[in-house]
Formats: sequence, structure tokens, C-alpha cells
Amino acid sequence: MKRWHMVFDVNKCIGCYTCTLSCKDEHVGNEWFPYTDRQKKRDQKWIEMGKRERGTVPRVDLAYRPALCNHCDEAPCRKKAPGAMVKRADGIMLIDPRAARDESLVDACPFGAISWNDEVGAAQKCTFCAHLIDDGWKEPRCVQSCPLRALKAIYMEDVDFEKIVEEKGLVSLAPASVAPRVWYKNLHRFTKNMIAGEIAFMEDDDTETCAADIEVFLKKDGEVVAKTLTSTFGEFTFDPVEPGSGDYEVSAELPGKGKVFTLVTMGEESVDTGILCPGKDPTPSHDAWEPIRE
Amino acid sequence: MNTKEIVRNLKPLKTVDKVMFAGTAFALDKVLNTMAAAFPAFKGEVAKKNIKVQMKLRDNSFGRLFIFSDGRVSARTGIYPGADVEMVFETWEIARKLTFVIRDQMDFVNAAKNNNLQLLGDDEDSDWFSGLLLKVFAAPVLYGGAYGTKMPNGEMRYVNGTNGGAVFVYVKNGRIVRITPIDFDKDDPDPWVITAKGKKFSPPKRSTVSSHTMSLKSLVYSPDRILYPMKRVDFDPNGERHPENRGTSGYERISWEEATDIVANEIMRVRKEYGAGTVFHTSGSHHTWGNVGYYTSCTRRFFNCIGATFDARNPDSWEGFAWGAVHHYGGSARNGGAEYYGTVEDCLQNAELIVFWSADPEVTSGVYGAAEGTIRRAWMKELGIEAVHIDPFFNCTASVFKGTWIVPRPGTDTAIALAIAHQWIVDGTYDKDYIERRTLGFDVWKRYLLGEDDGIPKDVHWQAKESGIPARIIKALAKKWASVPTYLAAGALHSFGGAGRQAYATEWASAMVCLTAMQGWGKPGVNFGCLQHGTPLDTHFWFPGYAEGGMSGDYVATGAGVHAYNRMPQSPSVNSNAQGIPRIRIPEAIMNKETQAHIAGVYSQNSQFPVMKYPLPGHNPVKMYYKFGGSHFGTQPESNRFINMYRTDSLEFVVNQAIWMEGETRFADVILPACTNFERWDIGEAANCGGYIEKAYLQNNYRVIHMQHKCIEPLGESKPDFEIYGIIANKLGLGQVYNEGNSDFDWCKRIFESSDLPSRIDWLTFLQKGYYVVPPLPEDRRDPVSYRWFYEGKKKDTPELTPLPSESYGRYNEGLQTQSGLFEFESLSLKRFAADDEERPPIVKYKPSWEGPRSELFKKYPIQLVSTHPRHSFHTMQDGKQGFMNEVSDHRLRIDGFDYWICRMHPHDAEKRGLKSHDIIEIFNDRGSVLCALEVTSRIPIGLIHSHESCGDYRPVGVPGKSPDRNGCINTLTPGRTVSKHAHGIAPNSCLVQVRKWVEPEDPANYISDFAKLKGPAVNSAAEQELSHNAKKGRN
Repeated sequence: MKRWHMVFDVNKCIGCYTCTLSCKDEHVGNEWFPYTDRQKKRDQKWIEMGKRERGTVPRVDLAYRPALCNHCDEAPCRKKAPGAMVKRADGIMLIDPRAARDESLVDACPFGAISWNDEVGAAQKCTFCAHLIDDGWKEPRCVQSCPLRALKAIYMEDVDFEKIVEEKGLVSLAPASVAPRVWYKNLHRFTKNMIAGEIAFMEDDDTETCAADIEVFLKKDGEVVAKTLTSTFGEFTFDPVEPGSGDYEVSAELPGKGKVFTLVTMGEESVDTGILCPGKDPTPSHDAWEPIRE
Repeated sequence: MNTKEIVRNLKPLKTVDKVMFAGTAFALDKVLNTMAAAFPAFKGEVAKKNIKVQMKLRDNSFGRLFIFSDGRVSARTGIYPGADVEMVFETWEIARKLTFVIRDQMDFVNAAKNNNLQLLGDDEDSDWFSGLLLKVFAAPVLYGGAYGTKMPNGEMRYVNGTNGGAVFVYVKNGRIVRITPIDFDKDDPDPWVITAKGKKFSPPKRSTVSSHTMSLKSLVYSPDRILYPMKRVDFDPNGERHPENRGTSGYERISWEEATDIVANEIMRVRKEYGAGTVFHTSGSHHTWGNVGYYTSCTRRFFNCIGATFDARNPDSWEGFAWGAVHHYGGSARNGGAEYYGTVEDCLQNAELIVFWSADPEVTSGVYGAAEGTIRRAWMKELGIEAVHIDPFFNCTASVFKGTWIVPRPGTDTAIALAIAHQWIVDGTYDKDYIERRTLGFDVWKRYLLGEDDGIPKDVHWQAKESGIPARIIKALAKKWASVPTYLAAGALHSFGGAGRQAYATEWASAMVCLTAMQGWGKPGVNFGCLQHGTPLDTHFWFPGYAEGGMSGDYVATGAGVHAYNRMPQSPSVNSNAQGIPRIRIPEAIMNKETQAHIAGVYSQNSQFPVMKYPLPGHNPVKMYYKFGGSHFGTQPESNRFINMYRTDSLEFVVNQAIWMEGETRFADVILPACTNFERWDIGEAANCGGYIEKAYLQNNYRVIHMQHKCIEPLGESKPDFEIYGIIANKLGLGQVYNEGNSDFDWCKRIFESSDLPSRIDWLTFLQKGYYVVPPLPEDRRDPVSYRWFYEGKKKDTPELTPLPSESYGRYNEGLQTQSGLFEFESLSLKRFAADDEERPPIVKYKPSWEGPRSELFKKYPIQLVSTHPRHSFHTMQDGKQGFMNEVSDHRLRIDGFDYWICRMHPHDAEKRGLKSHDIIEIFNDRGSVLCALEVTSRIPIGLIHSHESCGDYRPVGVPGKSPDRNGCINTLTPGRTVSKHAHGIAPNSCLVQVRKWVEPEDPANYISDFAKLKGPAVNSAAEQELSHNAKKGRN
């Protein structure tokens, strides 16, 4: 039978928080028994935006991703509290509000999706807007208001969805062992780092020029692990690069102008090589500028 | 012939008239009683008054008396003395026409104008009776709830409008359950299709909303709603008024009767004591939506009725364009912004690069554009259109749609633009044929660029010293730009842009149009825009935008004169008072009792050359302030000026008509509680602010014209603004003059009838469904592309009535709105006005900011503050008020139980000051001090900080106007100084500050900041600047 799945594409998210706000709109001040009691206006979100910034001026990447209940099929919460958790045939996991009066349920989810509402005295989480789905809605509120449908609700056979997971390389915030129903695309912007920089060369008249359309190589232990082309402005980005993966070489050959080469070490943060220019040491990019002082 | 026409053509046989009118009069009491029996709420309305009403002919040849008693109506034929209200018709014919079931609004208006219909008696009683007659026709809607869509689960689904898109509103048991974007149904038309580079693009069949629209339910039910009228505890209209306590004293609840008595009496007292124009009125914008209950509509008519002094508004989102670019290529009706027709299709088909220069459409949504443009910008990547973002802040558009981020120092954008032009000249990569055929004065500018005048070539190396951007980057940009068809988004809406709101912003905006002209503006793929405006929708279908006058009757001060006035029969309304106060100088006008400024008119760029002086000769300064809507605190630069203004005795009385207790509301003597537009009737169109921006709905993917259903009853004792003005108007004897005897619902119907809607949908269907989507035109009837006509040397063919005929100096519509009709690199209007003005010269020049790294103040305040429009609120609207938006951690951050506004700083600068994310910091300079939560980020370079402007909910730590604002009113820091000495726009992005960690004072209530110790309370730097200018300038 068909069941519900959710897919979130980091690249389509504009960071507007409309998902969180429409969840509040639906659940704050409204009681949807027997699905759930109302949500708290403050300090409780059933879909929570995370934000990650990578890079340095002027090569910055800013990404958002929401976290919500994974509606797992092999849910740890259900194993801990089988009496409180209701797994519907359509895949949606609910907390029975009558059995939710136990604060320890919050710890039943290892992914932090369950929160305690001290106003009504209930453990709560995302319901996939099951009360609306049962009323004929085709999407939960967070999806219905998402401008680019970075969030997508998909109703299909599990076997067909698994093919999509495979084809699109979707990943989940939860391990496969719990059989989560919420999947992410382009999550590397959250979990991986990048190596960026720019390449320039000196003209004969000693002016600097951006090296556009140059092939740049990323090598690890002498092996090319990635290559890319520089932009109009000589900029390049290798993304994703595994955090803490150690030393890399960045190199490129500029026809008639010589070579550039630098070593970088990938730690916990992304790395910017600065400006690479044949015959010169790398210099930090734009964020080095100081305000005019005369 | 339809029924209406048949009736209109009936021979005016007296017998027919007699039978029909007498019949109607005879039936009226029975109709009222039947309706009252059918609708209990209508019975309640009938029961409001126990009075006698005489309906009669002037010559007393016929009459009928209606006696209203506890909800029952009885009647008898004849003329009787002692009626409370008399409705007098001049003739049988008039009486028949106005009372018969099928009426023509024109007959009503004509009868009223020609004294053929009179209502005599107490204003409130007369107003009630005439309103009741109209309610008979609307009883099923108003009292039977026959509107909206009943959902299977018992909820009602209504429609409403917001400043972030049209919405469905679901209601149950008198409470709003949810507010959602609209998913269109199968009966709604399919969208347009654009074919570009072999691909087809079409928007999904739904509407979008801005994030802040999704917070509106929490604002309707906000604990900060004002639920009953209030009076400041130490304000006594008949005794001590204590203006010095405004902002600190508390309030006590009073009745509507008492509140409106005070306001009406103060209006009369002030006007009788001080004469014309002594009541001052301003309104904030963007806090509600609709064509009836908003500020260019009912508000305008009310204040016209009392001859108020209005604020003369500067185009504060357009400043650089309105005062600068307009002189090079016209467009005064758009405040110097560019045309936008057909640009979405042209851009997708032909452009290969979009330069976003000080443009962040993902934050501003253009204006009112929800997330409509977002959907189209997502197609850029699919088509391989490259993006460059020039902005000191790594803005949301750059973060979402990628591209190259070029990071200038604020105030140096003009230098960058000059270097690009210089590079094109050196490379010979500009459209020389276009320059020859369509422009004037290029050689003059070329000489300046090449340094032939001053020995300084404005090349890429020269700009690097100003902007901080390496020469190679600007060279690469110039070469790329010249090599491919390029769209320039200078600001997110064919104008606007933070770079246009700073010192010498005229030069930046002018440089933007000059660069586009150099590449042959109007050529396929060469135009202004960023897919935000100019969708292929039907521009031939007319429905008014909110600034087209609504029910104002004001064909002079609103856009009503263009379409609405002759389409909607109405009585005219003009303001007899000519006095005005330039908005940028309101505090100076109040405190110094005189001020002056240039005002950018829309009819012509030449209209900005004279100076508006206040007060007018023979006029007194204003004595009473009637404030409506949002807050000037936090939205106008150097906001402490406004706070000091309130706390002097220059204003004898201040009334604030507001929905929420915030900002300026806390500085009023009397507060009148208004309701939101979810609690009253209105009508509107998504993103249509026509009158301000013609065809602004072309930002949308669909034209959604909507009813604004009254979704719930007004909360507490709050009332629609329309009704509040009506109560006061009645107390001034102005009732019928103000509302023409119509309710807000009646006016919605009149606006519906005036528009093109009745040709497509009938009133009752529209009222039930709540919206109508105008189908897009077939592809072969789409509007021509903006400026293609100019590029090709043809007559202007884009669908608009501007510029005015007299603005063509040669043959009509055969050129731009300039003296030469050509694009003027050297502006003839500026040359005429002040050829020697080095701050706004006839050709674009660069001059370092009067408040920037090269100014003296930089030694004391070495950080440049960039304050852009906010993403998650529309100015003061949707911010604060204990709403959902406080939960958005990109909007505010909760620290120690307080929701702080956010300031962003580079890690290097934070480390230097020992600061980290989520520290509470104080941003300060000589004008003010603001507390913020710090976010350490690489979205802003070293030496700069970023914070969104326009929190208006001022919350001083200690004494108002003298201590830090805890709530984030960033504009308390920005300068009140104007763009330049003759360009009187705001310049908040030229702002130097310092930042330090905030330490809570021991005695916060009495805490005085350093800035307040610098000068006396009534003096401020904006006023000083103005006075010194006045002293120096001989010209004015």
C-alpha cells in the first residue's frame, strides 16, 4: 500500500522559516484530538530549522535544513513506549495524546524530535498534520506553504520510494536501522566541508587578472580526488570534502602563465586557499581588507 | 437590454414613479420586520434605535413615517411633526430611482450632490437609518453569513489579503483556525508558459506567501492587542496635560464615548483656536491591506474633511532613483525606477548574466511580492544564467541562488560603477551605435571617466582604493558584462536598493542607468530586473490597487484621478489646507516650529526643484497630532528625534489609532483601538499597490483579486478604522460627508462594480468564493518589452499612461521623459537647476561619503553599519507583539528571557572586542544606542556590521530618548541628514558606530547614555545640519 514519505532538498530551501511558522499556525491555539493537543507558542517547535555557515569572505555558503520527527518504521520511541506511540498504516507515527502525559517520553526519541509541553502536560512531536491528511489534504502545512517545495510530501509504495532514495542519493538524519521516513538531498552542505579559493595571474603590464575557465585539481596522497573549473572571477570550490580528512594539494596549470600549487589541511572547518597566483605565495582573499585609514 | 437598463429607460411618467416609490415606502416596514425575523443579528441592528423617521417629498405631497421601537418597525402614511430623522426627496422620480430595488449608484451620488436627497436630523441617527436601508439588501451576507466556503469538517474558509500575499482563512466558532497560501482549484485559469532556450517554464498552480504572513494569526490574537480605548493617566484635556510624561506614564481604560468626545472636541478646539491646518496627521504604511479601510482611502477622506496637515512623503525606498536617476532618463511616476513590462520573458530568453547590485529580492519580495519571484529565480540555474551579487552583506538572494559575491565598502558603489564604464570605454565594448542614436552628453561623462578633467582616470585600480575590491575582480566583471546580454537589478524592484539610501545615493542610482544605457538598454537581454517584476499577466484588466484612492474621493492626492474617480460614482473630496510637513523633518517641524525640504513629486522630475516651506504663510504650526498605523520610531532615521518631539509641549494633543500597543502608541494621550483586516470587510488584489507602483501585480505569477471577508468579529472593543473615523465624523457633523451613508461592505461592492470584475464574475459568486484569478493573455497578445521601443527608435508602446503628455518635449511619446527625449548622460534638468552642484552634478561623479571611512567621525566610530530591510517583518508589522516571529532565530534571539534584535559581525571584529555569538552588545554613536544579540558570521566583512532596520517597538532601558533602546530600533543610530544638500531623501546606510559588550546598569530606570549627555534634549544633528545648510544656501 501507499505510505507517506518526506523529502527535503537543502538546495531548494530559501531559509524563510515558513515551515516552522505554518506548523505554529496550525497547532498553536488549536487542539486536534485525538491526534494531538495544542503546541506551545514559545519554546517548542515540531519542525526546527538548523543553519550552517561555511567558508570565509567572499566565498561563503549558507544552508538551512529542518529537523522533525522521522516517522520511523522501526522507531526507538515505540520500542521504549509501545503504549504511547501509534504507528498508522500510512506510515505516520503519532503519540496518543491520552498516553502522552509522561515527561520521560521526551527521552524515547534519540533524535530529539519529542518535546515536553508544560502548558498542557504532554509529550509532543510532528504529526505530519495527520488530522488534515485524514480530511483530504494532500500535504501537511509545512509543505503546503514551502515556496519552492524544498519540503515534499510523497505518498507512494515503499518499494518505489526506495528507488528514489537510491537514484537521488538521499540520506537521512537517522540511521537506516530505524527505517526513517524523512530524507534529505544535498545534505553535504550541512555535514561536509568545502575547499575554496581563487586563481589569478599577472599580465605583462604587471596587473592582476582573474584566471577564468582553468581546470583545478584536488589531490590527496598524489591522487586526483576531484577537479573543477574556475568561474569568470577565477574562483573554485570543491564540495563536499570530508571534515578532518587531512592534507590535500590544490593545483592548476595556467596556459602560458605557469602553475599554481598549494597545500591545505582539512580540519573541522572549511578551508579557503586565498588567491593563488603563479610565482607568488598565496595571499588571503577579501576578508583581509581593513577599512581605509589615512 | 438588461433589467438595469430597462429601468433606467423607463419613461419618467409621474404615475409610474408614484406607484413605485409609494409601493416601496409602503413595503419597507414589512421588509424590515421580515428580515429581522429571518436574521436575529439584523434584528439587533434594527433594535439599536428607538426613533421616528419621516420619509417624504420636499413639497409634503407624500410621506410615510416609520417608528422603530425595540426592534419592531411600524409605519403610517402622511406627514407628521416631531420625527428624529427626515429623509427628503426632491421629486417622485428621484424618490423612485433611489428606493427601487434595482438602483444605480450614480443616481444616488447625483441626488446628493444636487441636493435632491437630504437627510435631516441627528448625525448618528441619520447615519444609522441610511445604513439600515442598505443593509436590507446585504442582510443575507452581513447577518446570514452567506459568504465563504463551508468545509466538510464544519470550518468556514474565507479569503483575505496581506502585505505578503492573498490567503485562505479558516474559521471555526468565531476564531481563526489557520491562515494558508491559496492552492488554486480546477476552475481557476492555468498559468502562462514561457519558452526559453528550448525549455518551457510555468509557475505551479498555487499562490505563495511571505514568511511574515504565516505569523499573522499570532498577531490577531497577540496579547499586545489594544482591546479598548485608553487615556494616559496624567492627561486631562481640561486641565494639566503633562506632555513631558509621554512615553513613561501608564494608561487607563475609557469608553468609546469618552475617547471619541475628547478627540472630536480637540479637533474642533485646535482648529477654532489656531486656524487652518493645525491638526497634523501621518500614517505608517504596510500594517494592513485593502482598498477601503486603509490609509489612502477612508483615512484620506476623513482627514480631508477636517483640513489636516499631512506629511509630504519622500520616496524612502527609492531615494537614489527619485532624486538622481530620474534626471537622466525620466520615469518620475515610478520615482525614477525603470519600466518592467515583459522583462521576465526577455530575461529568461535572452540574458546570460544578472547583476544583483544592492538587490535582495528574497528579503524584500520586491514589495508585497510574497515568494512569487523566488519561483522564477529558481529557473536561472536551469538556464545557466549566471549571477553576481554586489552587496556589503552576503544577502539571502546570494545565499540561495549562488553566484559570485562582490563585497564593496558601503558608500563606494558609484566608484565601482565608474570603473566599469571606464573599462568599457578603454575596451571599446559598449553600444556605440546606441550612444550615437539614443543618448546625449556621453562625451562629457567620458572626459570625466578618462580623467581628462581632473587627471584621475576612474579605472579599476582607482576604484579599488575606495571600494576595497581588487581591480582584477571589477575588470573581470566589466568584461563579462560587456560580453553577454546582461540584466541589472539595481535594487530588487527595478529600483530601490540599500545603496540608494546613503550619502550621494543619487550618483549610484544614476550610474546604474548609465551603465545599462551604455550596453543598449532595451536590446534583447539588456534591461533592468531580476525576474522579480514583469510577468506576462493581463495588464488590460483593471482592478484598483490600494493607493488608487479607494473611497477617498480624492482625485488630487491619491491615484483616484486616473481610473477610479470616473469609474466609481462618488462625491469628491479635497483637502482645503495646503500646509504640509516634509516627513524627513517632522521632529524639526514640531520642535523648531519651522522647517523646509525639497519634495520629489511624481508628475515630473522638475517638480522636485522648489522647496516646501513649513509653516505656510499665514498658518500656525500644528498643535495636534493624529497618528494612524505603524511607527516612525525605528523606521525613520535618527529616531530619537521623534521621541524628543513627543516629550515637548509643542504638541498639545496626541491621539494614536492603532491595533497594537507598541512604539509610538505608548507616546499618545488617547489611544483608539483599531482591528486587523481579518476583522472587517475590504477588497483588494495581491501585490497591487497601484497608485504607488503601476501594475505592481506583475510581480505575481497570477493576478489574484480578492474579497477581504470579515473572518471574525473585532476583538474586544476594537473597531475597523473606517468605523472609528465615522464615529468621530458624526461628532463633527460630518457623518454623511465622510461615508456617503455607506458601510465598509457597501464600499467594497462599489469598488467591485467600478472594476472590470463584473464582466467576468458576478458579485455573489465573487463574494462566496472570495477571489478571482485573471487569466493570462495568449502568448501573441503579451505586452511589449520595456524600452524595446526606445532601443528601436519607435513610439512608446508599453501599457501605461505615464509620463504625462506635457512631459514629452518633442512629439508625444517619441522619447524618454527628459528635455531632449534622449537618455541624458549629462542631465539637462540638473544642469538647469544647479550645474555647479558638486554633490549632484549633471554627470555622475563619485564623492566619498559624508559619513564613512574618509570622514572625520571615523576616528571616533570606526565601524560602518549596514541596515537593510528586514526579512521576517514588513517594517514594524509582524515584528514583536509576542507573535510567532519571535521564534525565528534569524529574526530575534532570546537571551535571558528577552527577544533581542540581531546584529551581525565578522569573527575578526568580534574577537578584537572579546565578543561571541549571543552576547548582548551595545551599538552606539552620538545619535543613539541600541542593544542587540550578536551573531558572529562571515556574511559581513571586517569593519562592517549588519542589522536589519525598522523594528519600531522602541523599549528604552531608562529615560526615553536618552538611554539605549533594548528592542533593536536600529534607526535610532542612523543619520537624519539627507542624501545631499538638494536631494532630500533619507541616507541611513551612511552610518558610523562603535560596538561594545553591554553591561546592565545598576539603576536602569535613571540610566542616561553618553549620546544624551552630548547635547540638550531639543537639539539634534539633523536639525543642525539643516540650519547650517539654510544659512549657507542662497538659492532657496
